[in-house]
Amino acid sequence: MSRRKLEPFTIISIVGVGFAVLACAIPFWLIISGSFTSEVDLAVTGYSVFPSAFDLTAYKMIFTGPAVLDAYIASVFITVVGTALSLAVTSGVSWVIARRLPYISRPLTVFAYLPMLFTGGLVPLYLLVTQYLHLQNSYFAVILPLLVAPFLVFIQVSAFRQLPASIFESAKVDGAGELRIFFQIALPLSKPILAVVGLFYAVHYWNEWFTALLFIDDVHKFPLPLVLQNLISNISFTQMLPQLAEQATPVYQLRLALTAVTIGPILLAYPFAQRYFVKGITLGATKG
Amino acid sequence: MSLAAGLLALPAVIYFVVFNYLPMAGLVVAFKAFDVSQGIFDSPWNGLENFRYFLDSGDAARILFNTVFLNALFLATTLAAGVTLAIMLNEIRSTLFKRVSQSVVFFPYFVSPVVISIMLQVFLAGASGGGGAVNDMLNVFSLPTLDWYTEPGPWPWILTVVKVWQLGGYMSVIFLAAITGIPEEVYEAGMIDGASRAQMAWRITLPLLRPTAGVLTVLGVGRIFYGDFGTIYAIVGDNGTLFDTTDVIDTYVFRALRQLGDFGTTAAVGLFQSVVGFIFVVIAVMIQRKYAKETSVL
Repeated sequence: MSRRKLEPFTIISIVGVGFAVLACAIPFWLIISGSFTSEVDLAVTGYSVFPSAFDLTAYKMIFTGPAVLDAYIASVFITVVGTALSLAVTSGVSWVIARRLPYISRPLTVFAYLPMLFTGGLVPLYLLVTQYLHLQNSYFAVILPLLVAPFLVFIQVSAFRQLPASIFESAKVDGAGELRIFFQIALPLSKPILAVVGLFYAVHYWNEWFTALLFIDDVHKFPLPLVLQNLISNISFTQMLPQLAEQATPVYQLRLALTAVTIGPILLAYPFAQRYFVKGITLGATKG
Repeated sequence: MSLAAGLLALPAVIYFVVFNYLPMAGLVVAFKAFDVSQGIFDSPWNGLENFRYFLDSGDAARILFNTVFLNALFLATTLAAGVTLAIMLNEIRSTLFKRVSQSVVFFPYFVSPVVISIMLQVFLAGASGGGGAVNDMLNVFSLPTLDWYTEPGPWPWILTVVKVWQLGGYMSVIFLAAITGIPEEVYEAGMIDGASRAQMAWRITLPLLRPTAGVLTVLGVGRIFYGDFGTIYAIVGDNGTLFDTTDVIDTYVFRALRQLGDFGTTAAVGLFQSVVGFIFVVIAVMIQRKYAKETSVL
């Protein structure tokens, strides 16, 4: 293949891909560059391709005040606890479905996938969480409604089914119980798929703001995306944020800096996690 | 033996019962004059009053149209972008360039809608509401600029661009996986017959991607009554001037619930959405079955 000459179509493709890459990267660049641009400069154009003078005011505010730290703690808690719980619950149910046990696996499959087809919708969920479970202003109101994603159950079931059944048979012959097979054989063999599913859950929880928007009113418990959303829709919200005594709050720069801080962890983890994500959706797509 | 297995599934079963099946039962609220103090099941019935209220409000036609129209638009454009991108990525021989580009175009999928909303402001209004990159561009070419956030007309297209940006790379990963599954011999045969790369893309790759595109279309059609709440609400929010073209069922329901506290009507709209959505899913799955059979015969 390498001796092939460069055809026009290949050149068009390279240009096209290059264009797509730029289109995807530029918005991130403008955010990051803008977050280092002083409020005065931002007021002129609203963005900057290169900051004319490197300005750290917004980051100083973010990292010295308690408000953003609270939001970070909230987001980290929701992400870590949520991912751990989701992964445990999803693995358990996926394993039982994957085992093809008589009278259990098939009904369970229907039971787990039906919610993808028909949902109760927003109002009953809202009433359930606020009136019956009384979870308002608890991080679990953000975590629990998203605990199990049927799509990820689906991915994990197909991964479990790819493990060689003979191992489980011989373990059974040696007297291992179902729980022991699951914890000591199946899970250790499934580390890659656990990484895939865990990462999907983690990103989901990190970005989650809809359930937070619904159930969290206490400003001090806002996760990062909700703080950001309030900064967009509600300028007066800025007053909740820490003030530097000597100057006015750089509202716009702060917005951009907070955006950068929100994307930051995903951006840093992405190069290492990317192949797992590709694996995940490829698995889901080809099995579908 | 199965008892132990049941134990492993128990937490998930409890989750599904509490957060999925109980709310389904809670849909009876749609037929009730809901009163918080009486709870869901003790509130008095009021028949179809909630549905009538919604249909008489004059919002029904608009939000139904917007929901279906926007979703159809998003589906068609993201699929087209995904296929195009995948075919172009497939042309690239340099592994490093290919891998890096794929990573970059896939990344927007992992970005919160709230972040996307801020990026869009940078382009359309400037972070400070002072300018915005798009208007600056228009100025360079002496074209008329627009106060984007007060003009509902272009918003279906703006949101489409956002969706393509967000999902184009994700779709391309799926399609690229499908391309990898095409046997090499097909291309070798094409090469022997003297086909150019463009011809092979057009006549071999594209037709062979149809089953994948079919499955994705069916999935999308099944979800056509569910608006993308996150992205649309994060971007449009409570900006009423844009509702004409951007308000969808999900955003409408959310506002009615949070701002008006109107549980009955909101639940009625939700029930309507669930039922019609379910019918669409069933039809979609039936089509997919038929389609899958046809392709497996081929």
